[in-house]
Amino acid sequence: MGFAIGVDVGGTFTDVVLRRPSGAVTVAKCLSTHDDPIAGIVTGVTRVLSGLDPALVTRVVHATTLATNAVLERRGVRVAFVTTRGFRAVVPLGRYARVEEDRYDLRFTPPPPPVDAGDCFEVSERISARGEVLTPLDEDSARRAAAEIARRGIRSAAVCLLHSYADPAHERRVAAILREHVPDVVASSEIWPEIREYERATTTIMSAYVGPLMASYLSRLEDALAALGVRAPVHVMESGGGVMSARLAARRAVATIESGPAAGVLAAAATGLGDVISFDMGGTTAKACVVRGGRPEITHEFHVGGKGSFGGRRAGTGVPIKTPAIDLAEVGAGGGSVAWIDAAGALRVGPRSAGSSPGPACYGLGGGEPTVTDANLVLGYLAAASIPLSPSLAGKALDRLAEPLGVSRAEAAHAVHTIVSAAMASAVHVVTVQRGIDPRGFALVAFGGAGPAHAARVAERFGIGLVVVPEHCGVASAAGLLTGELSADRVLSRLGAGDPEAVLAGLASAAAADLGVSPDDPRVRVERSVDARFAGQSHDLTVAWEPSRDRLESRFFARYAQVYGIEQRGEVELVGYRVRVTLAAPPGPSPGEPPPGAAPAGALSGPSAGTAPGTRPAYFPELGGYAETPVRTRATLGAALDGPAIVEDAESTIVVPPGWTARPGPGRAVHLTRTPSGKAPRDV
Amino acid sequence: MSDPLTADVLRNALVVAAEEASIVVVRSAYSTFIVEGSDASAALLDAEGRLIAQSMATTLMNSMALKVALPELVADVPLDAMRPGEVYVLNDAYRGGVHTNDLLVYRPVFVGGRPAYFTATMIHVSDLGGLSAGGMAPLATDIFLEGLQLPPIRLATSAGIEPAVEAILRANSRTPDKVMGDVRALIAGTAVAAARLAALVEEYGAAGLAEGVEAYLDYTEARTRAALAELPAGRFAASYPIDDDGIDLATPRHVRVALTLPGPDAARTGAVADFAGTDPQVPAAINASASQSLAAAVFAVRCFLDPAIPMNDGCLRAIDVRLPAGSLLDARSPHPCGGRYVPIYAAMEAVFQALSDAVPERAIAASGILQPFSIAAVGAPYWIHLAYDFGGVGARRGLDGPDATGVHFGIGRNSVPQAEPVESRCPLLVESVETIPDSGGPGRYRGGLGSRTVYRFLADCHVTTRGDRLRLAPPGRDGGLPGRLGGFYRRRQDGTLERLASKVNNVRFAAGEAFVVETTGGGGIGSPLERNLAEVEEDLRAGRVTSRGATEDYGVRVGADGTLSRDASRGRPGRS
Repeated sequence: MGFAIGVDVGGTFTDVVLRRPSGAVTVAKCLSTHDDPIAGIVTGVTRVLSGLDPALVTRVVHATTLATNAVLERRGVRVAFVTTRGFRAVVPLGRYARVEEDRYDLRFTPPPPPVDAGDCFEVSERISARGEVLTPLDEDSARRAAAEIARRGIRSAAVCLLHSYADPAHERRVAAILREHVPDVVASSEIWPEIREYERATTTIMSAYVGPLMASYLSRLEDALAALGVRAPVHVMESGGGVMSARLAARRAVATIESGPAAGVLAAAATGLGDVISFDMGGTTAKACVVRGGRPEITHEFHVGGKGSFGGRRAGTGVPIKTPAIDLAEVGAGGGSVAWIDAAGALRVGPRSAGSSPGPACYGLGGGEPTVTDANLVLGYLAAASIPLSPSLAGKALDRLAEPLGVSRAEAAHAVHTIVSAAMASAVHVVTVQRGIDPRGFALVAFGGAGPAHAARVAERFGIGLVVVPEHCGVASAAGLLTGELSADRVLSRLGAGDPEAVLAGLASAAAADLGVSPDDPRVRVERSVDARFAGQSHDLTVAWEPSRDRLESRFFARYAQVYGIEQRGEVELVGYRVRVTLAAPPGPSPGEPPPGAAPAGALSGPSAGTAPGTRPAYFPELGGYAETPVRTRATLGAALDGPAIVEDAESTIVVPPGWTARPGPGRAVHLTRTPSGKAPRDV
Repeated sequence: MSDPLTADVLRNALVVAAEEASIVVVRSAYSTFIVEGSDASAALLDAEGRLIAQSMATTLMNSMALKVALPELVADVPLDAMRPGEVYVLNDAYRGGVHTNDLLVYRPVFVGGRPAYFTATMIHVSDLGGLSAGGMAPLATDIFLEGLQLPPIRLATSAGIEPAVEAILRANSRTPDKVMGDVRALIAGTAVAAARLAALVEEYGAAGLAEGVEAYLDYTEARTRAALAELPAGRFAASYPIDDDGIDLATPRHVRVALTLPGPDAARTGAVADFAGTDPQVPAAINASASQSLAAAVFAVRCFLDPAIPMNDGCLRAIDVRLPAGSLLDARSPHPCGGRYVPIYAAMEAVFQALSDAVPERAIAASGILQPFSIAAVGAPYWIHLAYDFGGVGARRGLDGPDATGVHFGIGRNSVPQAEPVESRCPLLVESVETIPDSGGPGRYRGGLGSRTVYRFLADCHVTTRGDRLRLAPPGRDGGLPGRLGGFYRRRQDGTLERLASKVNNVRFAAGEAFVVETTGGGGIGSPLERNLAEVEEDLRAGRVTSRGATEDYGVRVGADGTLSRDASRGRPGRS
């Protein structure tokens, strides 16, 4: 086994992790370079490699926000959309929902469509829901569209014909004709052949929109790494937590949209604890995900650029993407979120963030508005981050809330802390209680800059008794990348398929071909699942495949009861087939085993081992206000440290409230456990 | 819990409880509306019938029904007679309900041994009898033709659904299994929200929660009054017509409103929407139950307030809605209420026009209405496609109207069915879904376009429609022109089109014939001759306006080289 490098490019920092064959890890954190992320990556890789022979690196795994940013900032390439005659207007008309304040907004204007109405084209053809040809393809209509697309100088095209999941022949032929004139052409049946024309079309259009950018970016990245002497293949983390070759990532660029968050969840899964809730809180958002039996929950539709709504991204408010993604709930609240008082005098936090400029008031960069970070500083939870923090500026900012509310500065700060912890809890709530999962018995794995300061308070709300803060919790996503396995997903909508085994076998072959292996390769693991529903309903549930019809149906009934609380029986129909083929990753060190000596390679400021002050006042309502609180580091933690206490880390600060005890855990993690006499569960 | 510091936490938790209930209902229901993408409604109320919170997707129509009907339930079944685990149902349109197909389901939540709160869910269920499958009876002349009526009754106990009620529901439905699936979904939704509410009682204590709720309603009222105070004081009157009642096709009906805005006095007096002068109820399906008219009036007023104000009883305290008894907006038995959206849309539009006069910088021209229709098997076994298409929204001062979206209580286009699932379920082909060029009312700001959807049938079927604004076009404002009228059509095998009346019941179509749904465009604002050339050019490029439309409506000539020039003599004169 060789050296492996994980590269996570985030909004602020580019994190690079090098894992040696011994399991030892070196990390580098450097500023992201927005105009060309490759410059930041090269800096980080150079840093972790210092003194090593680059040729020893056998694997590079990359999490990229390229696709996400291209979609959010509308920086993709111009796309032409080709569909069945009569349906040109479907994508421009859209399928948006109006939620929350949009409901009562007479001046609401629908979100702009993912493709310009004037760049939508039609071809004459028609296939039925059962795959019969009702109108043969008029190839001349496709040629006319191709010529016009080329004449306009459009270099990327998406094709989505009605019912192409049932028979892709027309769509393939149209794509072939387009390819004679247009360099990049994506067909919906190649990307995600699932019923519902709108979501299939948007998924295809988004692939065409970001695919050319992804192809050129990855090829430049490979060149840049080769120039450093790193010739290992570049793999890309996909939204579902698997890893794709660079070649596949260029073809299925939409599958990388949740690349970074997926890597973070894998890091939580890698704690080896089995059932965990991953809790990642950064500067502007927080994300939660459930991992059961070491495996993250997967969703089959998510919305990019959508509006958040009480912890979930609201369907219909962004562009739907129908590829598997780790089922994350995201809330727009983090360390930089601004606290404010609304027109009727209620305290609110977020969704606006002070970002990195001007940043929280305590950064002293000119920001005056109170943020979550300012509140945590006033409460004594924080002392210093990677930049010096000004308690007096934070206090002044909090006074902007305290005065109109008629409370003390500390009370205002604690209210901000509580509101944010509740917002975090709503994300956890979405992925657990709302999915019919009882979170008690799960461990909460906290990471991200702000996560460990709020984790115990979030856990309390759910009766969760164990919080784990992994080592390198500030670069957890990059570390998680190295646990990803090479995988490919395939799906097919098919009503009344005669032989499900044959459909699944066909999908497995196609997915194995994506990975360049045979489905019979001993390293290959094939996971098969089906989408099942009660006949007459429209919402289906994905259940693991089981050849015995009786056992499959019992599995579906059990899942249905778990999700909806209804012991329903009735005719069950299969409507979709899913396969994930995984190629086993080279074995790493077992998760429980502490890697010998991890050395930060970057110039990270912050308290280092042994230099933390002994105590400082911190605010805990259980203790009636400020109390002198012990402050330690991971190194000086000792065998057990009862709360109230604070453990300062290189990248973040762990708050141990009263009723909790911090202990060193395996792999240099810190474990917080609830003291048995602690408060009873409040929120489940 | 130090109020008001963290009141936001409780308020979110209340909405989340309702939100969870609606998720469960929507995912486990069988009703065609739900199957094709519509949302379920869910709300939390207190035992006094005050609305505390509703799920995001709940329309005001449904939350007002749940609010108005709860006291009626409690009148028939005293709180002391209720037991934990019980669930109640009603659909009585004269006691808060909407129409027979909309079931209102309630579950009491006990605090200290007595019901203190109710969780409630509501959807349009699969079928509960009446003139046509799926619940539309546009030509009903009394409510008995609309389906099974349910006074407030016990639907379930902790032991499960009442067998007698299940037998009655099954016996009165063309789709008994589906309707019971819907009922189970509605019950499960109330259970989920009740569990969350019970957890909140545990967390905050009974008194703490009650105080938190009280503070939430007060807070909402304060915000509503503060927003009302920003509108100019005065009395603003308007009216809006209904094409016809579906039976007497020659007589338009009218809804009239006088809106009194308090101005800075809002903290004390609130707004009054008085619908005196509205035409009397008719023995045809264009009447509304009072809860629905209340919803329309409150929705329309809220559209001119801060849109972020929460929706609960606190908001209602600041808006006084007066409905003349026995009018189109407050029908009495046995006047049918199934077509309630027709009069309440007229009510909503009348309030919009009154407020547009009051606040001209936020004026909106009249919109195309949503056009519901059903397509159903001519006999058992029943398949039903029940859906609607949206008309174009009227132009807003400074903004064009969105295409084929409707105003419709803020529902988006995600509730319009997609072709692939409908074709997999029903013997028909969707031939096309298009916007209709030149259908948006011309103006300085253009009305939104209507849409055209064509269904070709592969089997004989019954078509039922419930249209309006198909005879009287939504007018423009300030010189803007009306939107183009839509309509329902039969396309015969030979390709000829036959226009159907706006409201028809079980019109038989033969296999091979097609049903065409064209929705009406929204009205424009300001003279079309003042529309910028660049905007006309963009409309031409996107296909919203044809070159003929550019010339005839906007006085813009398209030269041979594609350049535009103004030739005002060619344009239609704007009317004011």
